[in-house]
Amino acid sequence: MNILVGISKTPETTAKIEFSEDGKSFKSEGVNYIMNPYDEWYALVRAIELKEVHGGEVTVINVGTISNETVIRKALAIGADKAVRINKETSSSWDTASQIAAYAKEHSYDIILIGKETIDYNGGEVGGMLAEHLGVSFISFASKLEFDGSVFTVEKDIEGGVEVVELNGPFVLSAAKGLAEQRIPNMRGIMMAKRKPLEVIEPISDEGFVTISQFTKPAEKVGIKMVDPDQMDELVRMLSEESKVI
Amino acid sequence: MPSNYIALNTLKFILNQVHGLADVLKLDYYSDHDMESMNLFLDAVKDFSDREMAPYFKEMDEQPAHFEEGKIKVHPQVGVIMKKGGAMGLISGIFDYEDGGMQIPMMVHTANTYIQDCANNHMTGYMGLTLGAAELIIHFGDAALKAAYVPKMLTGDWAGTMCLTEPEAGSSLSDLTTKAIPTEQDYYLLKGQKIFISGGDHEYISNFVHLVLARIEGAPAGTKGISLFVVPKNRINEHKGLEPNDVNTAGDFQKMGQRGYCTSHLMFGENNDCRGWLVGEPHRGLKYMFLMMNGARIAVGRGAAAIVMAAYHASLEYAQERVQGRKIGKLGKKKVDSLPTTIINHADVRRMLLLQKVVAEGSLSLLILASKYKDLSLHAKTPEEKEKYHLLLEILTPIVKSYPSEMGNIAVSNGLQVLGGYGFTSEYILQQYYRDIRIFSIYEGTTGIQSLDLLGRKATMQGGRAIQLLIEEIKQSCSEATKFSDLTPYTSMLESELESFKEVLVVLYKLTEQGKFELFTADANHFLELLSLIIIAWMWLEMANESMQAIQKDEEPHKEAFYQSKIHAMKFYFNYELPKTLGHAKILKNVSGLTIDLDREIFV
Ligand SMILES: Cc1cc2nc3c(=O)[nH]c(=O)nc-3n(C[C@H](O)[C@H](O)[C@H](O)COP(=O)(O)OP(=O)(O)OC[C@H]3O[C@@H](n4cnc5c(N)ncnc54)[C@H](O)[C@@H]3O)c2cc1C
Repeated sequence: MNILVGISKTPETTAKIEFSEDGKSFKSEGVNYIMNPYDEWYALVRAIELKEVHGGEVTVINVGTISNETVIRKALAIGADKAVRINKETSSSWDTASQIAAYAKEHSYDIILIGKETIDYNGGEVGGMLAEHLGVSFISFASKLEFDGSVFTVEKDIEGGVEVVELNGPFVLSAAKGLAEQRIPNMRGIMMAKRKPLEVIEPISDEGFVTISQFTKPAEKVGIKMVDPDQMDELVRMLSEESKVI
Repeated sequence: MPSNYIALNTLKFILNQVHGLADVLKLDYYSDHDMESMNLFLDAVKDFSDREMAPYFKEMDEQPAHFEEGKIKVHPQVGVIMKKGGAMGLISGIFDYEDGGMQIPMMVHTANTYIQDCANNHMTGYMGLTLGAAELIIHFGDAALKAAYVPKMLTGDWAGTMCLTEPEAGSSLSDLTTKAIPTEQDYYLLKGQKIFISGGDHEYISNFVHLVLARIEGAPAGTKGISLFVVPKNRINEHKGLEPNDVNTAGDFQKMGQRGYCTSHLMFGENNDCRGWLVGEPHRGLKYMFLMMNGARIAVGRGAAAIVMAAYHASLEYAQERVQGRKIGKLGKKKVDSLPTTIINHADVRRMLLLQKVVAEGSLSLLILASKYKDLSLHAKTPEEKEKYHLLLEILTPIVKSYPSEMGNIAVSNGLQVLGGYGFTSEYILQQYYRDIRIFSIYEGTTGIQSLDLLGRKATMQGGRAIQLLIEEIKQSCSEATKFSDLTPYTSMLESELESFKEVLVVLYKLTEQGKFELFTADANHFLELLSLIIIAWMWLEMANESMQAIQKDEEPHKEAFYQSKIHAMKFYFNYELPKTLGHAKILKNVSGLTIDLDREIFV
């Protein structure tokens, strides 16, 4: 089974993000980057597990500049067989999806897995766009993926229950928690990763549908206000007028 | 457990920038590694520690190892760690490829085990002793011993221990009495008991490979008659299966700290059927064991340094949240109607935090440096360089072991103090660190023994050459740092400390010339403290120097505030800690003799 896994690089969860003066980009000084956890822990690991059982090859793909190679190496250390980097700073989800689709069309993959969203932009858009580009099905937020040799069975959590889907490849699937369990690379894997192929290819042209006009931070949290238990009217007033929850 | 038990950026700063891991990676032996893979490995170990170690830290203290129905019970996670840690390469990493290792530098090994120590200091010894025991077999054992034991130890299937201490032989190993009786076969029959054996027995490992010091029947008295044996708990029979080897567990010591790390009492040969295989040549056991002991001494310093780091972060977290008292206003009075402040704004709390920071990070820097010396002593390009770094490592080892342990007690005590009354309660983790760190100045040779080793042996070896080399290294750092005018007051202070240290040496060496040997070593502990203070000052100067350079070059990966914090900590160390040398130098120069040749009545 040949599986393509999209991986991206995101700031660490604890990183404090500051924006540039014009608000159009964020400052990367002193920020630690990691592989997007949904890509790493779930999409990549499940792909490797399927390969270990059914044979084949796992390719990871990233749209990004050379500084992304650290996370790509990590994916190889965890167990991907080879990697592709499309050499450009991606401009939007559409751009990422188009770039990956252009590569995927040239190769035949049984399935394509990505994380359900990145933990920085939380867009969750790439999977659907990618599937559309390729003209294949898209299954979002999968928490289980099995293959019996001919049919794939996917489970996804839905409001109040679980939806079970059966389908054939190829398809694009976005991975949510539960799909697999995080694998930590071992020293031997890290050493082998250096010898695995990492192909760098040039991007297709960007249709440039999206421009960023402004990033802003959420408003500062306001302090807690204590209300005397005898002042219930005041509490009701605050809840309705200030926080507008009733 | 604090959410943030280690400052990984500080570890990487010290490893990569201050002590230049990249230079070590250029040596042929390490040519398969690069900075990217080493950093990836450290990040992986941090993930591993977050998931597999930190969550069990408190639990292991609350459910301590104990002896029940003839067996030692430990936390089940110990078994998981041995297996998963083995698979990650945490035991095998530093060995040669041909021995099943991956040739990672000692610098990186120290850094990765330090991360684990910060997460859970009860856990690392199990793997560390296995590594140390395997190292002894690899270095001194024959091919058959290696093939029989090492592979299973490196995967964490079997565990290793070091068995030196006996009820009547602790600091003084020359008095040990465990016997090895030669047989017609390729093995000896062992008989005796060993106490305080860390990681000595539990249910989650199928075999324990004990490295035992014993005396072959008829061997000369003293250290010269001691030999080293591999004594498995279960020996390998002719069908390649395991059968009991008459090694029995008599109990597990209940302790004030490190309660998840079992400390066993082992009986060898109660039924005269305990087989031991000689490692290397007879009567050279203590010499061989020193390889493991030197490694273990660095490991002990590392564990203590890690506890200080974790405790510092826990107390820092608290100090940033706890609101209490008001700052003193401009007129020297507190405004009672103003809002109270978080305690981190009080000067005395800051003093306690900075003390912890300088001890934690100064110790870490020393550990990484010692590990670099170890790498260079083994793999530097020329024999002269190897010899030089070997000597530097020799002189540093007692300090690497003792400074983090002794100052760690004080630093963690200050950490606990930051929490006030809450620090004394079991709700907060500081009390556990405070109990855990107490053992570090005791095992692997007490501070008393380390001091004697430093002054009595290391400071005099090859006519004081190791000390000379050390002084040259420190001077070299001083002269490099003088290019920054902001640092010159500190380089001058350190240089003058070296001058006064040399004066102390003159006084002490004179005592040996006069044959006053007991007087010479009577205050060895002060000598160790004096030299430690100077060495940690050197570490801070190097960190400040590197920070100045990084700021000047606007160098990533850290923000300027990070580098400024290092420079500030250096100033704190030079102002608050380094002056303590005065007292030690004075005591040493006085040669009062007040602790020797005493009538016991003095103590009534
Ligand atoms: C938790 C724990 C784990 C341990 N793990 C191991 C292990 O895995 N393997 C192992 O073999 N041992 C182990 N030990 C033993 C440990 O190394 C010894 O306890 C230690 O070396 C001190 O020996 P002792 O307890 O007999 O004390 P003693 O030797 O009796 O020392 C008592 C005091 O006298 C001082 N003293 C002794 N001799 C001198 C001297 N010549 N000059 C000046 N002062 C002196 C010491 O500094 C100390 O303060 C462990 C101990 C503990 C508590």
